[in-house]
Amino acid sequence: MVTVDKLEEMRLEPEVPELDLSWLNLDTEWGVSAEPGRKGLTLQQINKSLYGDIPATSEDSSARPRGAAAPEGATPRMTPWVLGDATETFSDSAALLYDEAVSRQWSSATDIPWDTLDELPEDIERAMAQLCTSLTEVEFIAGDVPGKWLPRIAADHFESGLFLMSQVMDEARHTDVFRKRALANGGGLLLQGGGGGLRQILEAEDFTQMSSMLHILGEGFVQSLFRLGELIAHNEAEKRIFRLAAQDESRHVAYGVTHLKYTLENDPDKAEEVHWTLDMFEDTLVDPDQANPGLAGALVYLLGDGDVDEGWRLFWHVRRKQVLEYLHRLDVAGLGGRLETGRLHPALSGALDEN
Amino acid sequence: MPDSDVVAAAKKRLEESGLPSDWLDAPVHWGVKAKEQATPENGGLRFEYLNVDVYGEVPEVWQNNTEIPRGAIPDTRTEQMGYSIFNKAEVWSDLCAGLYEDAIADRWNSSADIPWDTLEPIGSDLERAVCQIATLMSEYGWTKAQTTGRWLQEISYGYIEVKLFLGTVVFDGARLYEVWRKRALANGGGLGRGGRNWKFLPLTQSYTFSEFCVASIMHDSMLLALLRHGEQLAQTEAERSIYELCQKDIERHLAYFVDHMRYLMLKEPVRREEIHRYMNKAEWYLAKDGDDTLYSALAVVMGDGREGAEEAMVDVAELRREQVETYLGYLRQCHLGDREDRLNEELRKWAGIAPEEEVEKIPV
Ligand SMILES: [Fe+2]
Ligand SMILES: [Fe+2]
Repeated sequence: MVTVDKLEEMRLEPEVPELDLSWLNLDTEWGVSAEPGRKGLTLQQINKSLYGDIPATSEDSSARPRGAAAPEGATPRMTPWVLGDATETFSDSAALLYDEAVSRQWSSATDIPWDTLDELPEDIERAMAQLCTSLTEVEFIAGDVPGKWLPRIAADHFESGLFLMSQVMDEARHTDVFRKRALANGGGLLLQGGGGGLRQILEAEDFTQMSSMLHILGEGFVQSLFRLGELIAHNEAEKRIFRLAAQDESRHVAYGVTHLKYTLENDPDKAEEVHWTLDMFEDTLVDPDQANPGLAGALVYLLGDGDVDEGWRLFWHVRRKQVLEYLHRLDVAGLGGRLETGRLHPALSGALDEN
Repeated sequence: MPDSDVVAAAKKRLEESGLPSDWLDAPVHWGVKAKEQATPENGGLRFEYLNVDVYGEVPEVWQNNTEIPRGAIPDTRTEQMGYSIFNKAEVWSDLCAGLYEDAIADRWNSSADIPWDTLEPIGSDLERAVCQIATLMSEYGWTKAQTTGRWLQEISYGYIEVKLFLGTVVFDGARLYEVWRKRALANGGGLGRGGRNWKFLPLTQSYTFSEFCVASIMHDSMLLALLRHGEQLAQTEAERSIYELCQKDIERHLAYFVDHMRYLMLKEPVRREEIHRYMNKAEWYLAKDGDDTLYSALAVVMGDGREGAEEAMVDVAELRREQVETYLGYLRQCHLGDREDRLNEELRKWAGIAPEEEVEKIPV
């Protein structure tokens, strides 16, 4: 063994790096002074100069920030491919949604009034535990999916990348908050409810297809449900969970809608592909064999507070709202007409029937 | 089994209505009440407090390839989800749950938490140099978030704490990217020249998570050593707080990577040589890449302009030495202290460590 002392004796002066000042005279855009606005120095504020110009296509698979000069000498390919065409991933709202995500982060440990969780009757506690088991499961996949796509986002389209990074964080918190609720009050975790389209979202190999399933239909339905969380919650803690999670989901849904809008405006041929994806995904969502054996029962039970008939009535109220909001989002994105053309799955169009 | 009339009655009502009711008599671990630990003094309901009863049993090998929550009752019809990591040793650290909550408690907002109004004109050489550093920082933030994110689809639910924590690393990476971009565009400057990115290949190419971890330890520890000079490098209060806040994030990431590698080395000592190969690769790329513009930009900042840069290079060399020392220091913490003997020859020069053949001549 060489001792530390001996090594100390052998310490040399550290080698001095070579000085190269060629980067002092670059012709990148210079003289930019982004000014903080009402909400501080947001991405929107810094996107006002040439650095805010978004290239329609990018072939750069490196990490070079948009607008920086290219390095000298050989550079490696960082990933086999990136989604270089802006229609693949871009959304005009991504920067705004990222800014919002950063400013509206919350903590499931301290922002939920856990002390308001009173002892609940055993049937209600079990129903809530079942609902939260299913939700933590869904949220888990919702975080894996944007993670999978991150290496494929071009650095030139960093706004979408940053948004997806914020979504990974949001979904971690959702996975965590529903697990917390299940384990906080005596209920525990109940039945897994695998299926319901989670696999289809994860396995999609086209970003816009994935996004229309995850952001527009899947999270759209979840958001409509969370916004009606008052009907499910039995205390302030649960109300707050649904309210805060709904706020996050609104961002995710908005990204999906604005992305699809951008894509269809710039690549109208994509419409039929997305319709086809939604045909498949709607079919999966309502397939009884894919249904979570616990989710529907627990949800109906909670909505009716133990009165199953009342629960069913409210369940259809929720479903109707989910479908209406889904159709509205598609309209905004420029993919209207699924109801009118009879393309919407009958189990969903049936939910619009008042009776 | 349902243990009260309430549940039996509920079951009956559901069945009459044609709704599934088996969730009501699922063999649940009734009575886990994590809320009892959730006091304000305890930091609220932190994830660590959930790990009681079966829910806290983290298996050495996780058997399920679906998204089933750890502790729930499986539905055998569920499709496999393509995860590839089922070994605790490959990802685990006892610190994960706590670090996850710490990351959330320490969250910051680059729009509002940096005193941007303290930025002031600093002369064109200095501004160029700061912007050059900012450009390279952004690149690393982007790479960190992208490469960390890609591991999420590999890790199974058995190790949920790890995934939650990695989610915060992804988000921190995003912030590292954008806070430096903001700095570059906020003070009359602009972006500089991108790096060559060779040094990131060990992160983007990693086949195993452990390989990704040691490459991350190398990059993070060298970045941390640099961030610790924030006081000296910052020109304004705004920059000072950027250095400080980024430093805290990177320290958290290192705490996980290091504790995980320590765990792996204890559990699977046979992998030592394999891990050294990953470090060989990571160091080789780093040395070859040389971070071409970083050290010169640092010299301009430390030398207060291009005239002083040549002289300041001695201080930059000292900073680079600290970077390598910091890296070796973290490796010692994960029982990889033997790395010093095997350190890449170029990095030895950076650190002022005698070449390996010289060291071997010392009589033992
Ligand atoms: Fe979510
Ligand atoms: Fe979401």
